[in-house]
Amino acid sequence: MERIIVRFVAALRKSGIRVSPSESLDAVQALALAGMEGRRFSRQLLRLTLVKNVHDIELFNEVFNRFFNRFQSVDPDLDMPDLMDAAVISMEGEFNYLNQLPGEDHDEGPLLKLDSDIAPEDLQDLKSLHEIDPDDSDGNEIVVQMKGYRGKAKAPRPTRRYTQNPLTIELNKSNGVERGVTFSPEEQAEMQDVVSRMMLRLRKDMRRMKNNQNRGKLHVIKTIQKNYRHDMVPFQVALRRKRREKPRLVVLCDVSFSVSHASRFMLLLLHTLHNQMLDVRSFIFNREVAEITEMLANMPVNDLMETIDKGDIVDLDENSSFGQVFLNFKKRYLENLRGRPAFIILGDARNNYDEANDWVLDEIREKARYMLWLTPEDHDTWSRGDCLMETYGSYCDKVEVVKTVQDLSLVVEDLLRDIYADQAHPLDKKRLLEAKAAEIYDSKDYYTRGASGGSQPGFDPGRRSHW
Amino acid sequence: MITEQKVKEFLQTGGYIADDAIATAVFLALHMEKPILIEGPPGVGKTGLAKALSEALDFPLVRLQCYEGIDEGKALYDWEYGKQLLYTQLLRTQLDNYLSVSADLREAVERLSAEESLFFSENFLVQRPILRSFLSEKRSLLLIDEIDRSDDEFEALLLECLSDFQVSIPELGVIAAKRKPLTILTSNGTRMISDALRRRCLYLYIGYPELEREVAIVRVKFPDLCEVLARQMVEFLRKARELNLRKPPSVSETLDWAQVLSILKATQLTPEVVANTVGVIAKHQTDLEKVTALAVKELS
Repeated sequence: MERIIVRFVAALRKSGIRVSPSESLDAVQALALAGMEGRRFSRQLLRLTLVKNVHDIELFNEVFNRFFNRFQSVDPDLDMPDLMDAAVISMEGEFNYLNQLPGEDHDEGPLLKLDSDIAPEDLQDLKSLHEIDPDDSDGNEIVVQMKGYRGKAKAPRPTRRYTQNPLTIELNKSNGVERGVTFSPEEQAEMQDVVSRMMLRLRKDMRRMKNNQNRGKLHVIKTIQKNYRHDMVPFQVALRRKRREKPRLVVLCDVSFSVSHASRFMLLLLHTLHNQMLDVRSFIFNREVAEITEMLANMPVNDLMETIDKGDIVDLDENSSFGQVFLNFKKRYLENLRGRPAFIILGDARNNYDEANDWVLDEIREKARYMLWLTPEDHDTWSRGDCLMETYGSYCDKVEVVKTVQDLSLVVEDLLRDIYADQAHPLDKKRLLEAKAAEIYDSKDYYTRGASGGSQPGFDPGRRSHW
Repeated sequence: MITEQKVKEFLQTGGYIADDAIATAVFLALHMEKPILIEGPPGVGKTGLAKALSEALDFPLVRLQCYEGIDEGKALYDWEYGKQLLYTQLLRTQLDNYLSVSADLREAVERLSAEESLFFSENFLVQRPILRSFLSEKRSLLLIDEIDRSDDEFEALLLECLSDFQVSIPELGVIAAKRKPLTILTSNGTRMISDALRRRCLYLYIGYPELEREVAIVRVKFPDLCEVLARQMVEFLRKARELNLRKPPSVSETLDWAQVLSILKATQLTPEVVANTVGVIAKHQTDLEKVTALAVKELS
């Protein structure tokens, strides 16, 4: 029985469910406890002990059926215990089975071997890593990757080799033509996961910060209340708390053809973030600019994507024009932006040789607490063709290359941290920034800055610059 | 030896209709002495299961309601400062006598610190729910309710308690459970519970019940409600759950509604009856409208 459990667990792991050794021990113990008559409940027993997440239950059932149904065909009347015995017997010498589970990649070979294929020299040679996915910049492929906890996976690349993060989806959707505008449930779940992890990390820091924020004046009434049982001797002190501001965010998202893959995920991220902790105003643009804050909050994300894709909100058939958009944005919205929001612009800065109108950015800059430009293009291509990244970039606090959802969530997390740090007590500020620096160094440097040779736009002494 | 079937039966006598998964989980938890982590939408009987179990098994129920900011002082133990202070005050003369023998200050401090353990003994320890259930002479049922409301720190604190059934108190050392309590954790899934905690528990997901089971639940709680009506309302609510409501009606709403209907002595579900009692099953303005519309469509 132990053997069959071990193999079943291996099959579960293969299909992406995390099962720890102690859990498989539990399963064996549970089956032994249930005795012969309890074996009718084998599925339940295994599920209770091996699966620890709602989302995995369906997958578990699938694997369970596939795993044990192979033996059902031998004799449909076999009940569970016999089935198990049959399984054990017929599995002798069948080591290959696990490699033949459908729906998996076989050409990768054994997992361990791949890991050892990475030599230290490979890690140093970042340029070569960069060339693994030459199509990235064209938007043919986007890799959705969950970010592991800090320090756990110091992966040089988002990679499928690390089975620690089983939820690695590759979206091989070609640019435009076959691109589904809607999101599959997996993608949404993925994003939920990425965001909830992000929130978890953020919340942790924020809570610690809140404690320090207590360093206000003495709250006399609360202190007396608290120390009632100590005969009013103030052992415990209650301090007044300072008001905390909700960070405000304004997002301008290019939805034109050339960056559609990135904006798609930006919109999903926004949708998931919405109402969680932020005050977000979202705009989309191509040649026209339109606000979609309300729609993001009230509409199912897939409906919204379809509406955008049909061109109902902004006309998608025209060429994108950043200059035009900035001008319109200034005219219509800039006046009523309140509370020094942080600004995020997502776009490739390809202006189709239109008027640059970069002076508008200067005005926006004055209204904004912080300005961040996200582009899916690599640094090398910023000065080619109609790309105005260098021009626009000099007005921003930072320009980041974002190619994967992981990058995206990291960048947004950093931004939120920055905003919080801005309002924080000096002590916390230092700690927050340190945490951030460590994070960036850990996981991001390799394949954002490192790979593209630095994402900072060229310094132009003639212009206004913000670093 | 208690089998799943028996678990099911005695839960039923306690007024709780369990399905196979629930019965198996309880059976395993009883024998493997592992906590059960129950997840599911609100109102499907997660806490109800714990209550029914404590009644059926005659385990005293120790309940710990989690909230943001709960800490070990509220969950495990606390020192009773007031009592400690009071005792030092009352024992002042004894202390004076005791210390007056000593030649100098150094010796007095040594003598006093030798007796320190007196003031950090179980005498001055306030037992909070977890410690109380560990020290209970009878096997108890520890219900840690809505664990997702607590912070990560508290979750980490629970790890030791739940895997080894012991509490470490710096002043006293490790206190192990006299009888390992049957432990049930519930979560509404508003926050991801860490894998470390999940790994230490059996995981049970309770969703909305099957039609037959839900009818049975209603029948058990309200035997005087006629079977036809019970079935009709359960079927209606199952349709309402598919409406994509903000707060879909759960089993607890089913029971509330059954109670209301039996008080009103309704014999049949009509759009009017639904319209009059819709506040019991829908808890948002927009939901009210959707449910009323469904009633008109389905029942007339």
